[in-house]
Amino acid sequence: MQAGMEGGATRVNRPKRGFVERHLYVPPLRRQQLYYAIVFISPALALYLVFMLYPFLTTIYLSLTNWNGATANKDFVGLSNYARMFGDGAVLQAFWNNAVWVLVGTASPVIIGLFLAIILWSGARGSLFFRTVYFLPFVLPLVVVAIVWQWIYHPIFGPLNRFLDSIGLEQISRGWLGEPGTALYAVLISAIPGAVGFVVVVLFAALQSVDESQVEASMLDGASWFQRAWYIIIPQIAPVITMVTSITLIGGFAVFDNVFVMTGGGPGHASEVLATYTYSSAFQQNQAGYGSALAMLITVLSLVSAVVFVRLRERQRND
Amino acid sequence: MTEPRQGIASTASTGAPRRWLGSTGKYVVLLLFALLSLYPLLLIVSTSLKDPLDVTANPFTLFSSFNPINFYDAWTLGGFGGYFWNTVVITGITVAGVVALSSLAGYGLARFQFPGNNLIFFVFILGLMIPFFSVMIPLFYELRDLGLLGTKAAVILPAIAGASGFGVPLGVFLMRSFYMDLPEDLADAARVDGCNEFQAFWRVMLPLSAPGVAVLAVLVFFQTWNNFVLALVYLQGSDNQMLATGLYLFAGGRSGEYELLAAASLIMTVPVLIFFLIFQRFFIKGLTTGALKG
Repeated sequence: MQAGMEGGATRVNRPKRGFVERHLYVPPLRRQQLYYAIVFISPALALYLVFMLYPFLTTIYLSLTNWNGATANKDFVGLSNYARMFGDGAVLQAFWNNAVWVLVGTASPVIIGLFLAIILWSGARGSLFFRTVYFLPFVLPLVVVAIVWQWIYHPIFGPLNRFLDSIGLEQISRGWLGEPGTALYAVLISAIPGAVGFVVVVLFAALQSVDESQVEASMLDGASWFQRAWYIIIPQIAPVITMVTSITLIGGFAVFDNVFVMTGGGPGHASEVLATYTYSSAFQQNQAGYGSALAMLITVLSLVSAVVFVRLRERQRND
Repeated sequence: MTEPRQGIASTASTGAPRRWLGSTGKYVVLLLFALLSLYPLLLIVSTSLKDPLDVTANPFTLFSSFNPINFYDAWTLGGFGGYFWNTVVITGITVAGVVALSSLAGYGLARFQFPGNNLIFFVFILGLMIPFFSVMIPLFYELRDLGLLGTKAAVILPAIAGASGFGVPLGVFLMRSFYMDLPEDLADAARVDGCNEFQAFWRVMLPLSAPGVAVLAVLVFFQTWNNFVLALVYLQGSDNQMLATGLYLFAGGRSGEYELLAAASLIMTVPVLIFFLIFQRFFIKGLTTGALKG
């Protein structure tokens, strides 16, 4: 993810110190440094520990209890919350929906965004205008996006159904958000323009470093548009494509706002995702313990998928 | 790699290297997607200017009547004036808090060597990987026990700590790498000239890190202004609602009044758009440096 951590290794002027020195004896000059370090770092660290790390560790603990969030008793129940998830139809549905969201909601913006970025980069008039317009949906508040798309999908007045009716496809028009078969995909589509905007802007920036002489050479050699994109351009920005893909992917497991506002996970659990189910378990069904276990599932899934994806890419690159 | 030569016949005939795609085809694709990106915004602007009768008659015809009083009604009757100020206060304090705490801590980690330096940095970085949902539940009870639930602090403190994404973890990461790139001699020179460490930081290093601060501030602004879930969980039932939750509640309550809902959506969106157009450079730089460094 946020790479550049290895920046620490490039630091100069740092004397090598032995184990004893490092841990037991702090010389006076260092002691002063330590004093300043504490003053500079502790405000941020304190806030972070109290409102982030402590609740995170508490979630791990709560996921092993049957706490209902109201009474004082928290019985330790081991892994039974986790075991219960496998038999919970809503969790399986939510997991499946998240998988769809991660696959479709990552692949389509990356492909569309890559395509648009290459077109813009290869010299289109009004490139700045298009980039700004594409980026707008990414900047818009998700709640606003969700509310507008709710109108667009409105069964009777919605522009989408009106449009379908007007071109003679009235048998397709339906209550997009109200039917189990389409609810999830309808929400997913509303999230794609924003993701595309992000991909276009980042990839367009990356394309600035592509070696143009290679592209020109391939043009003289008569490579087609797709050959040029596939063999010359994409390999040069592949690391950034990986980055953008994994950022979008990680977000996919924690998706909440769009679904919560547009369908609330319904109808039934048709568009339920893990985050909306976590929310309703904890705060509507008073199952803080079970909700915590679901939250851990989200955390583990997003971390694991990001790591697996980056590893796969690295292996592919080394081959 | 296979040979990228198969297409030679097609360009040989044109003589000059062929342009990418046909020129018309290219612009059709670009415009089509631009329309798709802009349509929701157009729909809001148009609906926010309609009079209620027109909304019931043709809810989604673009720009069919002109009734700007909707903004006044949303601001007063809808209560969005209050939500607006709550959002301004919460966002302002959060941005200031993240910037101040992260520059201090980032500088502290970059300049001072002490045992555990890397460990503390790693602990901060861990925060970049923790999704909000894995702190959401205990944080609710923690804020309740502190008596903060429903107050502005219930959003501000978790937001600064990084619960909803861009907070101190991202800030420390950005600012530390920024200060590591600045020559340390500058701070040393300031010390020789009689500054103490705080003065050296405040007068020399902090001004030099202004570009990094700007990127961080802009990212945190967008994140906090648009934030929904923190306000949803920790401001439930309070009158400190932010614009996002205000909109959500309004949409659920009076689903008929599209023109007010649209006006309210615009009240929330316009500051974001203005900010975006002014600070686009920093925003995009923040997003791309994050991604390009990989």
